[in-house]
Amino acid sequence: MIANADALLKPLTIKGLTIRNRVMSTSHAPGYGKDGKPQERYQLYHAEKAKGGIGLTMFGGSSSVAVDSPAAPWNQISVADDSVIPFFRQFSDRVHAHGGKLMIQLTHMGRRTKWDTEHWLPTVSPSPRREPASRTIPKEMEEEDIARVVKSFAQAARRCREGGLDGCEVSAAHGHLIDQFWSPSVNQRTDKYGGSLENRMRFGIEVLEAMRAEAGDDYVIGIRMSGDEMIADGLSQEDCVTIASEYAKRGLVDFLNILGGQARDHIAHAISLPNMSFPVAPFLFLPSAIKREVDVPVFHAQRVTDLATAARAVAEGHVDMVAMTRAHIADPHLVKKLSEGRADDIRQCVGAGYCIDRIYVGGDALCIQNAATGREATMPHEIRRADVRRRVVVIGAGPGGLEAARVCAERGHAVVLFEKSAQAGGQIGLAAKAGWREAMSGITRWLVAQVTKLGVDLRLNTEATEEAVLAEKPDVVIVATGGTPFRGHAKGAEQHAVTTAEVLAGAVEPTGSVLLYDEMGQHNAASVAELLAKRGCLVEIATHDRMIAEEVGTTNQPIHLRELYKLGVVMTPNMELIEVYPEGNRLVAALRNTMTDAEEERVIDRLVVEHGTLPVEGLYHGLKAASVNRGQTDQEAMIRGEPQPYDLSKGYALYRIGDAVAGRNIHAAIYDALRLCKDL
Amino acid sequence: MTSFVPLTTVFPGLVWLMAALALLQGLRRAALWRVGAAAPVAWLDGLAKLPKRYLVDVHHVVARDAYASRMHAVVAGGLLAASILTALAILPPLAGFRPYWFVVALAFGVTAIGSLLVGARRYPAKQKRLSAGRFQILPFLLVAYAVGGTITALLLALRIDGLFAPLALALAAAGGLGLAFEVRHGPMRHAAAGALHLVAHPRPGRFEGRPDTALQPLDLDAPRLGSEMPADFTWNRLLSYDACVSCGRCETACPAFAAGQPLNPKKLVQDLVAGLSPAEPAYAGAPYPGGRAAQGERGALARLIGPDARIHPDTLWSCTTCRACVEECPMMIEHVDAVVSLRRHQTLERGALPEKAVGPVTELRQSGDPGGRPLSARTDFAAGIELPVMSERGGAEILLWLGEGAYDLRYGRSLRALIRLLREAQVDFAVLGAEERDTGDLARRLGDEATFQDLARENIATLAQYRFARIVTADPHALHALRNEYPALGGRFTVIHHTAFLLELIRAGKLNPGRLPDLSVTYHDPCYLARYNGETEAPRAVLDAIGVTRSEMTRSGKRAMCCGGGGGAPVSDIPGERRIPDLRMAQAAETGAGIVAVACPSCTAMLEGVTGRQAEIRDIAELLLQAVEAGR
Repeated sequence: MIANADALLKPLTIKGLTIRNRVMSTSHAPGYGKDGKPQERYQLYHAEKAKGGIGLTMFGGSSSVAVDSPAAPWNQISVADDSVIPFFRQFSDRVHAHGGKLMIQLTHMGRRTKWDTEHWLPTVSPSPRREPASRTIPKEMEEEDIARVVKSFAQAARRCREGGLDGCEVSAAHGHLIDQFWSPSVNQRTDKYGGSLENRMRFGIEVLEAMRAEAGDDYVIGIRMSGDEMIADGLSQEDCVTIASEYAKRGLVDFLNILGGQARDHIAHAISLPNMSFPVAPFLFLPSAIKREVDVPVFHAQRVTDLATAARAVAEGHVDMVAMTRAHIADPHLVKKLSEGRADDIRQCVGAGYCIDRIYVGGDALCIQNAATGREATMPHEIRRADVRRRVVVIGAGPGGLEAARVCAERGHAVVLFEKSAQAGGQIGLAAKAGWREAMSGITRWLVAQVTKLGVDLRLNTEATEEAVLAEKPDVVIVATGGTPFRGHAKGAEQHAVTTAEVLAGAVEPTGSVLLYDEMGQHNAASVAELLAKRGCLVEIATHDRMIAEEVGTTNQPIHLRELYKLGVVMTPNMELIEVYPEGNRLVAALRNTMTDAEEERVIDRLVVEHGTLPVEGLYHGLKAASVNRGQTDQEAMIRGEPQPYDLSKGYALYRIGDAVAGRNIHAAIYDALRLCKDL
Repeated sequence: MTSFVPLTTVFPGLVWLMAALALLQGLRRAALWRVGAAAPVAWLDGLAKLPKRYLVDVHHVVARDAYASRMHAVVAGGLLAASILTALAILPPLAGFRPYWFVVALAFGVTAIGSLLVGARRYPAKQKRLSAGRFQILPFLLVAYAVGGTITALLLALRIDGLFAPLALALAAAGGLGLAFEVRHGPMRHAAAGALHLVAHPRPGRFEGRPDTALQPLDLDAPRLGSEMPADFTWNRLLSYDACVSCGRCETACPAFAAGQPLNPKKLVQDLVAGLSPAEPAYAGAPYPGGRAAQGERGALARLIGPDARIHPDTLWSCTTCRACVEECPMMIEHVDAVVSLRRHQTLERGALPEKAVGPVTELRQSGDPGGRPLSARTDFAAGIELPVMSERGGAEILLWLGEGAYDLRYGRSLRALIRLLREAQVDFAVLGAEERDTGDLARRLGDEATFQDLARENIATLAQYRFARIVTADPHALHALRNEYPALGGRFTVIHHTAFLLELIRAGKLNPGRLPDLSVTYHDPCYLARYNGETEAPRAVLDAIGVTRSEMTRSGKRAMCCGGGGGAPVSDIPGERRIPDLRMAQAAETGAGIVAVACPSCTAMLEGVTGRQAEIRDIAELLLQAVEAGR
């Protein structure tokens, strides 16, 4: 049992609205909005959390109240007209059916959005200063603009109430319009909306007063704001405490949802959404400081990934509600499991940031380890038992194989899981060896605990042969043998290059000068570059891409870059490795600039390459001929969520998943496993 | 035989002399009970019912040890028969009737066999639970009396004269007079005091087939509260302690003793006995665990409890009030009443609660909850599910009493399951919500009668405001207080345990559980349900209704072992060598069951707290809910 867990399971009443416990999910934009509306996918995603026992789930991060704050850029929600109300009603019914409460975030993003989408309206802000993150130069708001936006907020609040939502918050965090007015780093006006803090607070006060007037004073309205912008020309912690106290004292807000930092550029963004390189709850001191000054409940989110930390935050009185947003993406049934005494079954967020990183490149939020999240219409969070018990053999206990074994065991099948090495986890074990990426091992830890609990016959140190597999008389064989690192096509690489995997595994321990050539743009090369630099190597990381770690998302890439800069790693984009050959006891690597074709040479001690993996498929081909399906997955049946159409009375069906098919990532391997096995 | 008084007169005369000696010794002992307070005793009723109480109620307990039962039947039956027959031979027609002496010889012969059975329990080595001391002489006295009597009777039957007769008679006299002498301080006291105890028992209701387990309210205006010295007990309680035969069955059953806490119910009773009489021979049974051996003062006015007294306060506070000792006692002694009476004095007169219990009892007195938690937080566990509250409804068919478990994170799960079942069965129910106070159970068991009575009166007044037919509770401690102890304070309610209520719902077809044959379950009886209220069947019937594979622990039903959670023991927290719940879970593990089913918040908390346990702890309501969901 987690210490102080009971502190989390106490109800909280705000203006007659009773939230059943102290765990919430903050508003975010998972990219599930469709036509500016929260439709089935979006609703089911939140309803699943309600089903899983969450007290309050807030949706619609940055839902726009006006047309010049477009909903399109991140598939967000527009509350700018009444057409959204029926969707709100359906949504709130779905969440209320499970006892959860539902709120939305309303905002005008001001300068922090795009002008070249939807209605092609210019962005607006108190002053025309460009934001690095959105790269727009806004129009300075006229008083008429201010009055219009204030009115838009009020109308949006009314729509929330009419839609049956339990409340809403306005966003004055991450550099949205209200905090653009607050922050001297943006607001350089000289009228009554600029200058003194009192003047800078005016716009937000007008917004909240108008919302209250329109939605009724008994409607729950809160605010999300920073507790310290942490930039020289921004809002200090003292300013933020003053603003929070003033708004609370005036009765404008029923709760304060506090975070640390802002998001005007890449690193600020990464810090405000702390990844696994940060300690847990790094900014808890900010809401704690504000809670001392105000009488309204204080909420907080920022890397509270585990219930012990959450319980401590509430029990010690730092916050009234603790938001575990990413933790719910990893496991929407977190509260239910806690209250049912099954805390050990919680799939804990590892802080990989896969969910959020995807949305900033226009994707949808997906969990690196839970393939059902965001796919509630088709993927189950609770696996239904199968009618027929099968004998299933899974080969390879990487994430895909473990998930396949877990899902099959939940289905009630007898599962044998072969793993040739001494540890389960596959390539995750390697990834976790690289510095701050250690928390990746949490993915394996949960899967191993689950398969063990479910009675899977996990055979470590046991290489599966065709005979060994067939000796189990399987109905289903799932090959999840993963991939083997590839040295690439450069001339001489096969003889003279080592892979990042070999470095992480400790098979080679480079010293001296190292050239790390990366064709993947993923975490692998960047984290190995950091590791080698920390071990004292002189490291240059070169890539075919336009920048280092190009495929790594916005909450992780800045951290990689920060660390590489700090360590003096030379970063060389737009380079292709063409050849490597020995010279004396050193190596010469030839690079070609992808833009100019100019060639350069490096004299180095080691060449480390990252080219991803190629499938390990020997066993698959060995088993293929005798299988009833010749190793083929019926993709259409799988996508329709139907069982694979093979007659198992005639022999075994053979499938392969994850990197054993083609080198991809952890989520792909786990999704392969879940969607195949849920119907086996 | 040529003596001037015939043997046919001397021999019966011996028995009459024995009777006289026994009476004298008994009266000398009985004189001590007179220091005790008066007690209402229905003498005629008690006397009339003595045979039934002995032959049915006592036998029911004795028979659990088949050897002891046979032994006692043979030796006591033989002894009584032989002695009475011999005594009757004072009548000349019988004395002269030779076949009569054959019958007498036969009775003595049976006694002799019984005496050997008695001896076999003690030699070459005595059974562990038995006391030594004067009990070790008992078989010799019995053998002497029985063998001497057999030979004497045979000589009379066969009309053989000679030197044998005086020798045999002397042997019988030595044994017989020895036994009679032992009525005051020795083993034979149990027979006399035991019989009288059955007549004048302070809880006659227990012989009428109903649990008579409620503590009696204390008159808080009395000049002295609780018991400090022997003279503070009623005379028939002092008598009851004298009935103790030191068989040690209580010691074997006592969870605190098993855990190595400083409590041994036999020694406790024997300390009450010894405290009364300065002349009492030394105790020769197992000590209180922990090796303490203070002698303390003796006498009617001797202080019984104290660090330097016969009974250490820790002994008193180690008791879980589980009544296992009472259940096992063949002499029908009420140990728990003695413990509570002594605790009442410690708490009310001396303010000497155990250190760790002061906080909870103070909170209870001040805020109505031992954790000092707001009463409105009692329903926090149900946040998010609809929970009708009496103050909003005015009445309901069922009043659901939540109890202290509602504050507990783990137990909230059980209550939520129960509430879901009530909803499923469309039961019209409501809770008191913030108006519910602790029943006062904890205060009462810890001797704080004043707080108990305050809380009880407040609860009774609250309950009186609402219309309801029955109270349902999942907490057997609350059940016991509400059902059995509130009536004495004017609160009369029909109270039913949730397991019994759920069984009703199943039988009425309002719940249609599926079957869960894959679950292997052993049921742990809560003391306050099984022993205090006699309910052992309903929980088992519910488990059978959901088709689990059910196995029983060696100790189950009314003889189940306590989890350690009663009587304020968890808050007193007297250290031992082991923990009671660990012992209980080890017993559960012997069944191989994957689930230990419970029906009490205290048991849930205690058993869940066992580290490294293999089995899951699930309330009956949780299992039933699972079955109902499986049955959909």
